[in-house]
Amino acid sequence: MRGIKRWWVPAVSFLLMNAASAQAAEPIKVFPETTFDAFIIYESLAIFWLAILSLIVIIRMKLREIERIQEMGAEQEDKDAPLLQ
Amino acid sequence: MNCPRLKDWLEERYDWEPVKRLAKSKLIPEHRYDLWYYTGGITLFLFILQFVTGMLLSMYYIPHIDFAHKSIIEIVTKLNMGWFFRSLHHWGAQLCIVFLFIHLFGTLLLKAYRKPRELVWVTGFILLGISIFFGLSGYLLIWDERAFAAVRVATGGAGAFPFIGWFIKAFLRGSMDVTGDTLVRFYAFHVAILPIVSLGLIGLHLFLVQVHGMSVPLSLEKEKSREIPFFPNVFYKDLAVWLVVLGVLVTLAVHLPPEIGVKADPLAPPPENVKPEWYFLFLLQTLKLFPGSILGLNGETIAILLVSCAILFFFLIPFFDQKSARGEKSPLFTWISVIYLLYFLTMTVVGYLS
Repeated sequence: MRGIKRWWVPAVSFLLMNAASAQAAEPIKVFPETTFDAFIIYESLAIFWLAILSLIVIIRMKLREIERIQEMGAEQEDKDAPLLQ
Repeated sequence: MNCPRLKDWLEERYDWEPVKRLAKSKLIPEHRYDLWYYTGGITLFLFILQFVTGMLLSMYYIPHIDFAHKSIIEIVTKLNMGWFFRSLHHWGAQLCIVFLFIHLFGTLLLKAYRKPRELVWVTGFILLGISIFFGLSGYLLIWDERAFAAVRVATGGAGAFPFIGWFIKAFLRGSMDVTGDTLVRFYAFHVAILPIVSLGLIGLHLFLVQVHGMSVPLSLEKEKSREIPFFPNVFYKDLAVWLVVLGVLVTLAVHLPPEIGVKADPLAPPPENVKPEWYFLFLLQTLKLFPGSILGLNGETIAILLVSCAILFFFLIPFFDQKSARGEKSPLFTWISVIYLLYFLTMTVVGYLS
């Protein structure tokens, strides 16, 4: 009995210490863990990129229209134009 | 969005016709290097994003050694989207410094610093220094063992500067070692002092850019280049570029959220292979090149003195490069710029891989 006591006390304390240090060394989760959350995040990212690309296409179209008007000189102010009131 | 009543209300009270005229009259030269003009705009956009995400994080962060680390864990694990905003702030800072360096070396290689734009260079260079200090002060706020060790090394290195090193070290740390005082001090720098200084400098930098207009490279100055109005042409192009940068930033924030290490313990030995942020790696590698003692003098002090001289020369390049100021080609300063760029890139890569 005394012999058993001699080894189980250090063994249990070793195990407890190990468990405590393992818990301390465990990295902190910096990203939602569940598959559902991860799926929602990646899905949102894909939609976000779609929105960005759509906006860039709209900006490009708008810019082309502006450049076309500028080439025609239609945006220049005509000083002789009659003032309508 | 057109609000005629609001427009009339404002026009009745404020004469903003000169502002409208300025926006319409501002022209941007179009040439094969005009891509570099966008790097300044991207940096400004990232600065604004940093301010917004930083404000959100500061609502939950507690600048105290007992709670700082815990408050960041709570931001990341308990707050809705907290992990995302912290990651956005982290990657925003990295990208901001990347684009600052691109903007700096672009300006250097295209000689955009030449007369009369010396002060534009000076304000931009100081802004780079402030951004790096923003990075260092923000790095400590996480209060984990890596940040603690890195700031201890960085502030210790500043202490090796001759004559005033002890003062810089004491001023940065707020005590003998990196302690809770340093954390509070760095927090004050990060959220109050540096933002105010950088806002003023950004304003001055932008004002000077408006006064001088965009610089055209020397090789293209004699060519008749086309000019396009800033508003709306370049403004729309800027918007498109900002959207892409935002997309890249969000993708990085989602895929690579920054980790949180073990809480800092001032009495514990520093973790192995501690590295500072990537923009300090060239400095660390340079310090490693020097032996501990040179002709009986402290090697680290000599190294820091030489690095400081090199940075000072870099800062004063617009005043040394007289050929560019006269509108002549100056290949010597082109080579100096290339050597600076190659040294910075090589040492950063070597520091990262070692």
